Amino acid sequence: MPIVWKHYNADGLWDELITSSGRARPGAGSLCRNLARLSDEELMARKEAAELAIRSMGITFTVYGGEDSGSIDREWPFDIIPRLIRKREWDHIRRGLIQRVTALNRFIDDVYHDQKSLDDGVVPRELVEKSKDFRPECVGVSPPHNVWAHICGSDLVRDADGTLYVLEDNLRVPSGVAYMLENREVMKRVFPELFEAYLIHPVDDYPDQLARTLSSLSSRRRPEIVVLTPGVYNSAYFEHAYLAQSMAAELVQGSDLIVGNDDRVYMRTIEGLIQVDVIYRRIDDLFLDPEVFRSDSMLGVPGLMRAWRAGNVALANAPGCGVADDKVIYTYVPEIIRYFMGEDPILPNVPSYRCVDKESRDLVLDRLDEMVVKPANESGGYGMLIGPKASRAERNRFARQIRANPRNYIAQPMLNLSTAPTLIEQHAEPRHLDLRPFILSGAENYVTMGGLTRVAMRKGSIVVNSSQGGGSKDTWVVDLE
Amino acid sequence: MKHHTLSRTADRLYWLGRYLERAESTARMINSHTNLIIDLPARLPHGWQPLLDMTDSHPSFSSRNQPPSERNVVRHLTTNRDNPGSLANSLDFARENARTVRENMPRVSFEYINDLYLYARTGLSGALSRSRRNTVLEGVLTRVQQIDGFLSRSMLHNDAWSFLRLGQFIERGDMTTRIIGVAAATPLAGKGPAEPYQQLQWRSVLRSLHAMQSYRVSVQEPVSQPLALDFLLKNPDLPRSLAYSLDSIRNSLRRLPRNEQPLRACNRARRNLKQADVGSLEGAELLSFIDMCQLQLAELHDFMGRTYFHPRLRVPKAGPRGRDGPHQGIAKC
Repeated sequence: MPIVWKHYNADGLWDELITSSGRARPGAGSLCRNLARLSDEELMARKEAAELAIRSMGITFTVYGGEDSGSIDREWPFDIIPRLIRKREWDHIRRGLIQRVTALNRFIDDVYHDQKSLDDGVVPRELVEKSKDFRPECVGVSPPHNVWAHICGSDLVRDADGTLYVLEDNLRVPSGVAYMLENREVMKRVFPELFEAYLIHPVDDYPDQLARTLSSLSSRRRPEIVVLTPGVYNSAYFEHAYLAQSMAAELVQGSDLIVGNDDRVYMRTIEGLIQVDVIYRRIDDLFLDPEVFRSDSMLGVPGLMRAWRAGNVALANAPGCGVADDKVIYTYVPEIIRYFMGEDPILPNVPSYRCVDKESRDLVLDRLDEMVVKPANESGGYGMLIGPKASRAERNRFARQIRANPRNYIAQPMLNLSTAPTLIEQHAEPRHLDLRPFILSGAENYVTMGGLTRVAMRKGSIVVNSSQGGGSKDTWVVDLE
Repeated sequence: MKHHTLSRTADRLYWLGRYLERAESTARMINSHTNLIIDLPARLPHGWQPLLDMTDSHPSFSSRNQPPSERNVVRHLTTNRDNPGSLANSLDFARENARTVRENMPRVSFEYINDLYLYARTGLSGALSRSRRNTVLEGVLTRVQQIDGFLSRSMLHNDAWSFLRLGQFIERGDMTTRIIGVAAATPLAGKGPAEPYQQLQWRSVLRSLHAMQSYRVSVQEPVSQPLALDFLLKNPDLPRSLAYSLDSIRNSLRRLPRNEQPLRACNRARRNLKQADVGSLEGAELLSFIDMCQLQLAELHDFMGRTYFHPRLRVPKAGPRGRDGPHQGIAKC
């Protein structure tokens, strides 16, 4: 049976497409009518066409399958029903993101220089200096434009009342933007007619904007830019190659680069050594330079930190910027914004409890079955406790971990994440989702039009990570005015 | 900003070219050999062994201690993962190389390479049965040609392209000479007059190099060993002749920087070929000539590695610091 919207029931949660009374939200009418017109066969045919496009375009991500199976390439999971965001709402979000990232960059720069914000007690000094992402090696370094986090991929979620929150600031090596771009390509292939009814803002200027941001980090007119990848077995390799190709930058691995005694970085090419000016690095801080960080790193380049500190090469993102991406520091971001920007935050944080504070900790331990508990420095949804869904044994285990290392945990009340209609077999069913826009900061700021929408494909699940069964949707920022 | 080709990338593109070419040659050889076997009377002791010789797959085959039956040999050359030169492995390696350098090619080309890989994954075992073999292997051939055609029509003919072509033509020259070498080393001889079978054999060689029709047009005489040899080695217009491969290698090398050594090796090989009267060669003389051609190709391959893929580099010593200091005389374009 084709999609019948009046049978669609988002269970009282906020749905991105359909209101609680079963009607299309403003602007979504044409999309909903178009989808409802398709027979089961047509729907399945579109779904298969999307899968075929993804397979043949080679859009994959790599998952680590455990010690026995090594890494496996999987086709990128994609849902053919797009998610809509009105341009007017997006403009608001965009302003909020720029405000937030600007404040975070000022904070990081302050942490590695004067530490005024720590002196003024905006963030407890101990918290910053004991963060495992604080890098003493970065103290005193002044990257171009005083910007440290050049590429940021914030995670946004919407609660049942429609409020949009910033869930995480991903400042280290955020990934997903290539999938955002590819989702649009796939959508245009399989549903070209849906685009006719809308003014959908294109997303494909991202590679140019990224190249512009990276170029602004060098004083050369035409700097030599490379993308540094850990290699084909990294889960985001597809994206590394994609971005390098779309920027016409070289995709390099650590072994392709060498730092001379002149503290400059060179790449090995068929012409000989060529000097590199900007490195968009997609490997973690600790693997960057075996001379300074992990000496067993095979992914990095010996001497890279020397070259960076001497100002001979720009690293994006700068080493050490993860200090502002710690989930405990996250809880201080609203104060950071007020302190550095002199403004109230445009986008709110999810209410959060710091387990390091005794009072909060007791409250969290008391209500563990209502809370989402997150370790300070994990990403990809690993090491989390989703209280309401966890077993008693899991909750007890987390309670012990929190008591043993309270600094390492924050807790948030479980949000009722918004949903959007998602094709499950032939039916549209509500599935929870989030949104990851990408914010570029260099000489100027740029925010993607929309971002990557990730969907938890399992009913009721709120885990959207592709490594754990998440899917994705094309995200349309539409102009209705 | 000039796009620079990394040594590692050049290496991968070169091997991508080689593996695609190898897959095509292998598929074609199996098809034409099957065709030859069908034509031969059963009493001729000419089995499936020569296919192993042509593809240089003896060591991996013998280690399995099996008779060189049709099924065993064809399986070894198509689906067997233990044979580094099997079609399945060539296509795996081709895809793996393509995957690591995909940003250096038009984006769609990886789709085609991936498609070929998926086709091989599911379809290759069909080649074990004689009745489906031709169709299945033609499927590989058309897909390789699709990739080849797409790349030559839409890829920027830059350094990356040159390395693909170099891999392709060094592999092709190697395959052509090897097929000729095997035919020369294992002549068909029956109890009666060997003549008709010798013709049959050289026709098969021509077919496996996709050169039968070109031979008719260009030579206009019945197939014989001297004429076939001359045609397959020296004709500069035949895409699978050794001369054509060497000319293509030279053209690609000319576009690359630092090409002195490999170019010299290439010119030497081309001169030797030009001066040889290959039609008059027979037996041991022919075999040693073929050996020399193969050695020259191997030498070219070595020069590629030493010049482009794993060169020794002089790393800059300490000098002036700062973002805008001078460049130590290193190319910066």
